[in-house]
Amino acid sequence: MSEREEPALSISESASLERGYRRLLAWYPKWFRLQNEDEVLAVLMACAQEGQTRPSLEAAADLLKGAARMRLRPMPGQPRTVFAAVWLMIAAAAAELGIMVTLLATESGIKAEVITRYPAYAHAIGHALTVQVIVDEIAGPIVIAMWLWMAWMSSRGKQRGRVALAVFFGLTSLSVLYALSDGSLVYAPAAMSVGLGLWAIAAAAIMLIFNKASSPYFQRREPALA
Amino acid sequence: MQEATFLILTALASGAQHGYGIISDVADISGGRVKLLAGTLYTALERLRADGLIGVDREEIVGNRLRRYYRLTPDGEKRLAAEASRLHSHATAALRRLNLNLAGGAA
Repeated sequence: MSEREEPALSISESASLERGYRRLLAWYPKWFRLQNEDEVLAVLMACAQEGQTRPSLEAAADLLKGAARMRLRPMPGQPRTVFAAVWLMIAAAAAELGIMVTLLATESGIKAEVITRYPAYAHAIGHALTVQVIVDEIAGPIVIAMWLWMAWMSSRGKQRGRVALAVFFGLTSLSVLYALSDGSLVYAPAAMSVGLGLWAIAAAAIMLIFNKASSPYFQRREPALA
Repeated sequence: MQEATFLILTALASGAQHGYGIISDVADISGGRVKLLAGTLYTALERLRADGLIGVDREEIVGNRLRRYYRLTPDGEKRLAAEASRLHSHATAALRRLNLNLAGGAA
């Protein structure tokens, strides 16, 4: 086996290259960095070319790809059920973001349409729509932040994450029931199906996170990093 | 099993090695054809560790840098042996058929 010392880099070259690699390694999940960062850095530095001051494009792309793949895997000690639930919650946050963007993008179109159809009520309806969109603009980011927070807490095995998810699921269920009982007069079919879709995601996340396989993960005090 | 994974396990088959050692050994084994990059190497090592095919042998500090040596676990040896014999039988079959065809073409 070939043993090789680090190539001859001046102190400033070596420091600059190391900074570049550390910036790339920052994209890896924390548990991976705690466990491997120094070691990967040692290998990267050993592979350096003479006079190299920044990571090559190829090495950078390879590290970023590695970081992405590492984030798509469960953390060591994390049950697959928890990992799947976390990704469902992130998907829900993305869906909420999509809904918010759609609402904002279509607002003026809907307003124009309503005004041409019901010119007599133009002012009142236009005003109501604006109020609705403003409410959605405020509620949207809060709900997105909620989903991301629950995903983050759950992925780290924090009990608060799953309690919040249960409460959130209860509220979502109530609002879906309310919408269903109130009838299709109030809610457009598209809005209904989006609401039901989100409820289904929350239901699946609940089932995964309160699964027998997930429970031990939430009963430890500190998530294992090794 | 991916080629990189197979070559990493092969590099560890003769004894514990550290990251840079694996990279240069894999280059040797493959006749310089496979150049592992650090990101690929550690993605593979992490998966192999999670699957219990490799383990950490020891850690050393050399010139201020951490060196972690990896070794095959008994499971890893079994998997590598199974994969090697699978590839071997495929390769043998391919060569045998090619030879037969060549002989047939010449006749």
